[in-house]
Amino acid sequence: MASPADRQVRISHVAGRYLVFDIDDVVHIRRHHGICAVLTGTMPQNPTQNLFLGLPVELHAEEARLLVDKGAGYIADELAEHLSQLTLASDAPARKAYLQHLKQQRRSAQQVFSEEKAKVQAMHQDKRKAKKSVTPPASSSEAPADTSERDAPASLFDTPASTPATVHNKKESSLPGVTPTTSQPLTTPPSSSYPTTPTLKNYPLCQYLNSRGYYTTPGLRFGGDYSVYPGDPFRYHAHYLANSYGWHEQVAMLDLVTSGRLGTAVKKGFLFGAEKPAEGGTSDRGDGKEKEKEVRVFCIEWAGM
Amino acid sequence: MAAPDHLGALINVVLKNLKFQHDWADVQECIRPNLSRSLLYGLPPKRLYVHPDEQIDIIKAEKERGEPIPQEPEVEWVLPLHLSEKWSPAQFAAVFDAIDAIPPGGTDREHAVDAEGGVEEHWRLWRGPKRGKRILLATVQDDSTVTYYWIFDGLVKPRQN
Repeated sequence: MASPADRQVRISHVAGRYLVFDIDDVVHIRRHHGICAVLTGTMPQNPTQNLFLGLPVELHAEEARLLVDKGAGYIADELAEHLSQLTLASDAPARKAYLQHLKQQRRSAQQVFSEEKAKVQAMHQDKRKAKKSVTPPASSSEAPADTSERDAPASLFDTPASTPATVHNKKESSLPGVTPTTSQPLTTPPSSSYPTTPTLKNYPLCQYLNSRGYYTTPGLRFGGDYSVYPGDPFRYHAHYLANSYGWHEQVAMLDLVTSGRLGTAVKKGFLFGAEKPAEGGTSDRGDGKEKEKEVRVFCIEWAGM
Repeated sequence: MAAPDHLGALINVVLKNLKFQHDWADVQECIRPNLSRSLLYGLPPKRLYVHPDEQIDIIKAEKERGEPIPQEPEVEWVLPLHLSEKWSPAQFAAVFDAIDAIPPGGTDREHAVDAEGGVEEHWRLWRGPKRGKRILLATVQDDSTVTYYWIFDGLVKPRQN
């Protein structure tokens, strides 16, 4: 794996959404860039189960831009890139290389399967030997109970383990099919600088919080733009529910009061922030490399009186 | 225009509410040219806000002393607002930029306490130099109900209430 400093995360831009498909990338951005985003993958057979979702991870547009601005990732237009790669590579070595890669993956899957099978078989043989060696001295009263206890898990594993084994024996020659989670070998790393997202209203606040080590998750459950955690959400409760406003955006007091009340009710503060426009009034955005503009944040809490 | 009168009436409602419903003492108006409206400040009957980190310092100090430390009230800023108003972050920033963390009248008292305190009295700093800018938002409704919310300048972690 590349060293954490120069790992480039591939952010797939698909149908207007920013997705990360590589599990190593997902771990990397969570550990080193404080971005946990949202797991969105579900099983096609069972799309309503949404408690344990899997890959891909979907990023907010501002999180995608944050990674690009930090130089930690790049955005790839997957449709255009795949299309060009597949049509261009129809008779080129790239296509062959990709097919070769797929075959290699199937081979290694086969290897894992057979190793697993061998392990199970070895376990069974051990069990059988143990049983034989235990039965003779069964004269003592405790021994029978002991063997039956040890037998129980073995018989549990017996049925599922043996059936796939017989299936595999029938077509030993053909390799198992695999569904790759990424099409990384087909795509080229940093493609031409894909236009990053347009100006995002929430980006300054998002960047402000991220640069201070805060993690953000979608804040809809508390009626805000983000829930803000002082560290990884696995370890902390959220400290704030956050909203981002424009510097001169008129915010109804009722919104501030109700959000503040809700925040206090769930032991959080209500945080709102805005980016102060540059003094001269010139809007020189888009570059992303310029120094951080001033972001002012305020926290609201019920006063208890 | 009736706007100035309206503002005066609004401030008056909050002032009376603080004085007579919440028993605040020495409630006064602070008029400054760089403020869009005058703020109020006064002394509540009991302490209104303890920062979570300050609470830790107090508990440590209490453990060392073996006796509870009485928490004197602090002078607080109050910003009167009507519920139907709309404020932008720019306006809040302007108010915070115009004020000091400690309202007038609060300073002498805090300094006196500070001088008598020893070096290990960490918790006292929260009443002086470590105090962040905070304002009570006094939101007035049409039926003259006043609700009070703290607004803090910057990232201030919530209290464990």
